[in-house]
Formats: sequence, structure tokens, C-alpha cells
Amino acid sequence: MTAGLDMDMLAHYGPLLLSGLWVTIRVCVLASCIAVTVGLVLAVLFLSRYGLVRWLVTSYVEIIRSLPILVILFLLYYGGPSFSLTLEAEPVGVLGLGFYGAAYFAEIFRAGFLAIPPGQIEAAQMVGLSRAHILRRIQLPQMMGLIVPPSVNQVIVLVKESAVLSIITVPELTKNATQMANETFAVVEPYLAIAILYWLLIEAISRLGIFIERRVRHV
Amino acid sequence: MHPIVVRDLVKRFGGVEVLRGISLDVGQSEVLCVIGPSGSGKSTLLRSIAFLEVYDEGDVLIEGRLLGYREKGGKRILANEREINDVRSSLGMVFQHFNLWPHMTALGNVTEALRVSRNVKRDEAEEIGTAMLRKVGLESFAGQYPARLSGGQKQRVAIARALAIKPRVMLFDEPTSALDPELVGEVLAVMRDLAAEGMTMVVVTHEMGFAAHVAQRVIFMDKGRIVEEGAPRELFSSPRSERLQQFLNTWRERSI
Repeated sequence: MTAGLDMDMLAHYGPLLLSGLWVTIRVCVLASCIAVTVGLVLAVLFLSRYGLVRWLVTSYVEIIRSLPILVILFLLYYGGPSFSLTLEAEPVGVLGLGFYGAAYFAEIFRAGFLAIPPGQIEAAQMVGLSRAHILRRIQLPQMMGLIVPPSVNQVIVLVKESAVLSIITVPELTKNATQMANETFAVVEPYLAIAILYWLLIEAISRLGIFIERRVRHV
Repeated sequence: MHPIVVRDLVKRFGGVEVLRGISLDVGQSEVLCVIGPSGSGKSTLLRSIAFLEVYDEGDVLIEGRLLGYREKGGKRILANEREINDVRSSLGMVFQHFNLWPHMTALGNVTEALRVSRNVKRDEAEEIGTAMLRKVGLESFAGQYPARLSGGQKQRVAIARALAIKPRVMLFDEPTSALDPELVGEVLAVMRDLAAEGMTMVVVTHEMGFAAHVAQRVIFMDKGRIVEEGAPRELFSSPRSERLQQFLNTWRERSI
């Protein structure tokens, strides 16, 4: 066996791996959008004056946080049809990752809300600002500096966890690398290649995060 | 019609009754000071009048309208946000810890309510805002952020912010308690001018000098009840209740 990597094999399987990378990016972007939006809604609902609403939100977060993402994906993909929910692998992956991530984003945003002194909210109420205006003009602008770093972190976690989608046959990066490994019986080339691709993807997200953080900390 | 009418107000936190049946009227252009030891419920009373605390029993009427609740088929239910803001719009409030919004300038703080919820155009809002800042002596600080202001300046901006929506009653919750002694005077001066202009004011304070010289009426509270009330001159020179005498003695001892 010669030492060193089989560059011909890498060249041959390049397109497959890049196609997997594209699926990973697509899935993660969509799942992140769901996770951030649903997470924000949950965090706002957590501030509700109704105990039942708060209890529902807390229950959702607690349950999701105690389940491995793989179990959630299995429930949706293999268990779904029993609840007349038949979806293809990729939508299951997007929804699973999205609603899974939402629980974590809910906690990040909740911490952000708690960091705003309640007196500022009372002053806003006394000059007649509506709850929506208070959220948009008083709370969110001050929260941005606090929530961007942990949010970027959570997106990175989401990207890494997307590798698990390979187990429910979504043709993302890890799945395609596994396919390459099965076909060539090589293990080093495929997994080293995707390690580098994951690293590049996550490095790009980190850089974007730093850029956003600087823009948001102008106060 | 009285600007504020409070009838048999009861407020509980958990099992503890913090307000045990408070009744009072505040007249047009009256300056009413509320004094008392900590834990007496004076801040809770003010906050209940503003409906920042949900009171449990009794009535708070602002210009004759019930605040915080709605009568529906003989039963009382919690009013919604719009109704509360509507009744509350004739109130302005100033807080002990200023509660300015740190990500906006002084002018931004003052004009925010005008621009956002009263739909006043930016130029007009800034004109009104600048006039309010001028009124409290801070026109040249319009572009400063709160972090750069002293405590007294922050509180004066807070007063300007409350005045911008043209309230008919101003509530002050220990407005100078968080200030260094040298900065108290500038805030009291603004409050004195407001009173002279005929603003109806309810002030929870430890500043006996202000109460003595500016208030028409002083209320002494202890353990959730009004123990004594009357003109400041009488209350301070000849207190009837032992509790008030004790309270004034501790104040006198600290002032010598």
C-alpha cells in the first residue's frame, strides 16, 4: 500500500461530495431559519401573562432538550406514517433539525430578554408603547449584542449535527462520504475530505458571525 | 372630577397583604406626597395607581375611568393592553432608577413614544422633544447617550420623556432616592417648577423638605394603611400618631 492519498479517487468522487455539501448547506440554512423563528416565538410566548402558555413552552423545551436528535428524526421518519405523516427524508431532516434547534434558540433568546432590566419595560408601558413596539424598539435592539455569539454557536452545532441526517438516508455530506467509502473500501480519503469540507463550512459561518457581531455592537 | 380616585384598594403578594384598603382622592393641580417607612406599601400604592401592579380589590379611577379592569355582565375582568394604555394615557411616571433606554440618545428617549405610538412625524417630534429637554434644562444634551449623563441629568431626561406625552397627572416613585446628594437639588427644582405650573402630582419621597414646601397634602403610610394625612405643616409639626412621631424622629436625628 502506498502512503499518501488517492487523488484520482478524490477527483472521481469530488462531484458526489460537493453535491452532498450542497444538500448539507441547503438543509442547514432552512433548519436554522425554522429554529431561529420558532425559537423567538417560543421565547416571546414564555413572557406571556398566562401560566398555561408558559407551561406549554417550558414543556416543549424540556422534552426536546432531553431527546437526542437521532431519536427525533427516527420518530418523524419511521414513526411518522403511524400518525399519517409521510414525508421524504430531506423534509424530515429539515423539520427535525429545525424544531430541535428551536428549543435551544428559545433558551438563548429567553436569556437575552431576561438581561433587559424590567424597569425599562415599565417606562415604555407608561409612555404608552404597545407590547409589539416594546419588543421591536426596546428589547430586541439591546439583546442583539448578547444573543449573536451564542446563536452563531448554535448554528455551528446544528451544522455538525446535520451529519446524523445520513442515518435517515438524506443525501448530505456524511451520507455521500459513507457511500464513497462503501464503494471504494477506502476510509481515509472520504472522511478526511468531508472533515475539510465541514471545517471550511463552519469556518465561513464563524467569520459571518464575527461580522454580524461587529455590526450589531455599534451602541 | 378628580384626576385620581382610589377606593378600598387591596393588593396582595402571595399571602401577604401589602395594601390593606387604601382610599384617597387627588384633586386637580394638587401635589400629594406619600411618606412612610420602607415596606409601608407606598411604592406599591403608586405602582397600583399606574397599574404596573395588578391590584386585587378596590378601584383605581383615572379621570373617572376604571383602570386595569373592565365590567362585563356584573363581573370584573382584566382589561386588555389597549384599554389599559387608553385609560393610563393621562398618567406620566418617573422611576427611582430612571429607566432610560440606553441604546437611544436623550432626544431619542424623549421622542420615542411620540414617534412610535402617537404617529407624530420626526420633525415635529424632535421639536416637542427639544422643548421638553429645554424645560428640564438639558437642551444641549439632546444627542448624548444616557451612559454619559449624571444621575441628576438622567432623571431630568426621564421627566422630559414622561412630559412629552402631555400627561395630566405625574407620578414620581422616589425620584431622588438613587441620586448623590448634590444632584438631588436639580431634580427637585424641576419638580417644583412643574408643581408651580399646576401639574397634578403624586410623589413618593423621603425628601421631607420637598414635602414640606411644595406639597398641599401629605399622606403617611405604615404597614399597608394610611395612618395620617393632612397639610404638611400640621403633619410635621404636630403629628398625632405615635408611629408618625417615631418616623419623624428618626429623620430628624439623621438631619442634625
